[in-house]
Amino acid sequence: MNEQQIAYRIKQILSRGLDLDSEKLSRLKFAREGALARQRVESNAPALAWASNVFGRLGSSFSFVPRVVLSMAVLILGLISVNQWRESQVAAEIEEIDAAVLTGDLPLDAYLDKGFDAWLKRSSH
Amino acid sequence: MAKALIALALWLCISFSAFAATPQKKSLTWTELTPEQQQILAPLATDWDKLEPERKRKWLGIAKRYPKMKPEGQVRVQKNMQAWMKLTPEERRAARERYKKIETLPPDKKQALKQQWDEYNRLPEQERRKLGSTPRKPIAATPAAAPDAGSTVAPAAPASAQ
Repeated sequence: MNEQQIAYRIKQILSRGLDLDSEKLSRLKFAREGALARQRVESNAPALAWASNVFGRLGSSFSFVPRVVLSMAVLILGLISVNQWRESQVAAEIEEIDAAVLTGDLPLDAYLDKGFDAWLKRSSH
Repeated sequence: MAKALIALALWLCISFSAFAATPQKKSLTWTELTPEQQQILAPLATDWDKLEPERKRKWLGIAKRYPKMKPEGQVRVQKNMQAWMKLTPEERRAARERYKKIETLPPDKKQALKQQWDEYNRLPEQERRKLGSTPRKPIAATPAAAPDAGSTVAPAAPASAQ
């Protein structure tokens, strides 16, 4: 007798009706309610299961190579940002100095004339 | 998923570096400047479009500072603009270094420099040459701002010592 045949026999017996006492009935009722409650939880679960699956996959496939690439990308972005910041600092300093040189009361030649520098040194001694 | 992450990382890198490079590449032409900027930077008008973007940015920064400068500073900056722009990068670098050195001097010595410069210029040229002085580049007497430049630009003042 295979599985299908057993199921058919059980169905026939059940269709004829069972003479069960109240204790068995209450146990059956309890078991049925328990099964239904579990079924409800499972039917709510797919969304969670899907998310868990995605993150699970992400975690598992987020292996060595992508991690290295992502770290490299973060490092490169960091270096670019630092470089940009440094360049802007240098540019700001140049702007500051140029503005001071151009507005100062010393003429430009005074900053350029090497003889003036030498003369100052000589006269200060 | 891993490929998507790599692609995302690369895309981030490329887009960020492109974004970072954009302001450097952006270079305003003379006609794109505001009338006020044109007025302040008038001595650079003819050479503006040939300037490198970073130099343009510096001059725009100086133009931004211009309204806060003292009137005599405004006159000087416009008088010196063209001469400064015509210097070689090495000369500008040397002048900046010299400025930094001067800034470390005590205030009394700094103030005396102008007088010392005048004194030095009274020396015979031959003597100055011996000290290492090189022939100076003629500083073009630039009509600082265009004649119709309006009132925010200070009128040309008499040239200072040199």
